[in-house]
Amino acid sequence: MAAIAMRRGLGRSALALVIGIYTIYTAAPFLWLATMSVRTTNEISLDHYAWPHPFHWEQFRIAWVDSDFATYFWNSTVVVVGAVAVVTLVGAAAAHALARYRFPGNRLIYGILFSSIIFPPQITLISLYQILVDYDLYNSLFGLMLVYISLQLPLTIYLLESFFARIPQDLFDAAKMDGYGDLEIFIRIVLPLGMPAIATTLILNFIQLWNEFLFAVVLITDPEKRTLPIGIRAFMGDHFQDIGMIATGVMISVVPVILAYVFFSEKLIRGMTAGAIK
Amino acid sequence: MSQAVDGNEAAAARGTGAPSARSMADPRRTSWPILLIFLVPALVVYGAMTAYPAFRTIWDSFFTIDGSDVSFVGLSNYRDLMSDETFWIAVRNTAIWSFVAPILDVATGLLLAVALYAGVPFARFLRVAWFTPVLLSYVVVAILWMWIYNYDWGIVNLALRAVGLGSLASSWLGSPNLALGALIVTHAWKWAGFNMVVCLAAIHSLPGEVLEAAELDNCGWGAKLRWIIVPMLRPTLLNLYILAFIGKMKIFDLVWIMTGGGPLWATETVSTYVYKRAFNWNSFDLGYPSAIATVWFCVVCAAVVTLNRLLRSTERLEY
Repeated sequence: MAAIAMRRGLGRSALALVIGIYTIYTAAPFLWLATMSVRTTNEISLDHYAWPHPFHWEQFRIAWVDSDFATYFWNSTVVVVGAVAVVTLVGAAAAHALARYRFPGNRLIYGILFSSIIFPPQITLISLYQILVDYDLYNSLFGLMLVYISLQLPLTIYLLESFFARIPQDLFDAAKMDGYGDLEIFIRIVLPLGMPAIATTLILNFIQLWNEFLFAVVLITDPEKRTLPIGIRAFMGDHFQDIGMIATGVMISVVPVILAYVFFSEKLIRGMTAGAIK
Repeated sequence: MSQAVDGNEAAAARGTGAPSARSMADPRRTSWPILLIFLVPALVVYGAMTAYPAFRTIWDSFFTIDGSDVSFVGLSNYRDLMSDETFWIAVRNTAIWSFVAPILDVATGLLLAVALYAGVPFARFLRVAWFTPVLLSYVVVAILWMWIYNYDWGIVNLALRAVGLGSLASSWLGSPNLALGALIVTHAWKWAGFNMVVCLAAIHSLPGEVLEAAELDNCGWGAKLRWIIVPMLRPTLLNLYILAFIGKMKIFDLVWIMTGGGPLWATETVSTYVYKRAFNWNSFDLGYPSAIATVWFCVVCAAVVTLNRLLRSTERLEY
């Protein structure tokens, strides 16, 4: 008995050790980044791993005002918020029609809309560049927003369709009897009842687009119109040695994501993993 | 997805049961104009920003496109591609990445999930903490790991020097032999948490009696993992593998920022090569990269369909 208990105890501490090491492995790089964001580059090059002393909060003001991160931040905000709002509405409408009504071609349309989730981005990237140039939307935040809407559409429809399909049909029958039209049903029943799924989709789309790099780097070249990911990358290209300021810029780009995560961690995790869980 | 089908079937069953008097106002049906109002916006977005560009890329792959100079060249782009050594290096790197790295991701995820399931304190907190890297953008992850791999002051080399293995300290991203491995580790760091959460949810959905019975038999965690958890989680694990596989076939951001495909093509992936040929080399030809994109599009679709078939057709465990 004692032997088993001891083996258990050993196993416990081994497990705790592994978990501790792994937690450090995931969290430490991020904490390190956070400390560097409030230190000046001179301090950092003296010792890369020292605790900030004093905390140079003005680094954030310098990054925001002097290093154009404010521009990048607002560009990102405009594009992402606009795209997320539109894609959620468009996606919800399509998801509702596909989840609720029976009509010939329903599964075909769903399949077509959903299948593009596996497309490698290059298949549309090169032509989208040509198309946006043709229509004067190249180097424009509006053009980038349109592209972002199409990028997130398959995921939005996938997540919302599976949720909307679970709303009991009785509710719709009752609404019909009360004389609701189809559009009213969508606005007054589906959207409110679907809020949990819609919220998940909103946050998920927000984070994925906030982090998007490839299409932004191809479709935006004007420094005034850079979004955060390409802005940081461009800043790094110009000031490779200025580690403190790069770290500050990175923190500025991460803060909204972390905030969203702090408030909605469960929703986010559920949304991101919805596709993989059977 | 399965719920959606169930729902439709349930409605179908109800429909046949109900007398035809109600069929006039079958709430599952509606007029085409209404359907179009719901569906047209999505279809327009899909048509204009996904289907049309995809077809145009395939079409372009038969041309040489230099600004407004467009000339038909038939299959010559594809012929050039077959003898393009850089392309094959990129394919090899992407293939290594897509087949090998997902095993690393999924295995780490599974082990972490089992560790949390085994009942450690703060499991909720750890689950949230381990998931955080998934949410960071590739730009952030790339910059962070470029510093971690820094030759002079990166933590990897510092740690090696501290334990007296200074001779192993390397320029992790600068050496052709190490760069791809270094990138794969970085990528796994970002995605392990995702696999962990999915595996954890799957383990929790296993019937509790099975694991309790194993507990009574005094079965260790190693044995439980080998004989119970892995076989019963097979569908989830395969799903995760396919998801990771798709992700890696498309990999661009991390490579582009950390190494730009170098050194000496050692980390070149198909995505970075397409980007280089289309936008970064001053070759001003969009036809050739379109051909690469078309080939890769077919490869990815074929690979996903084949993997799905292969992995799903093998016997399903029922419980």
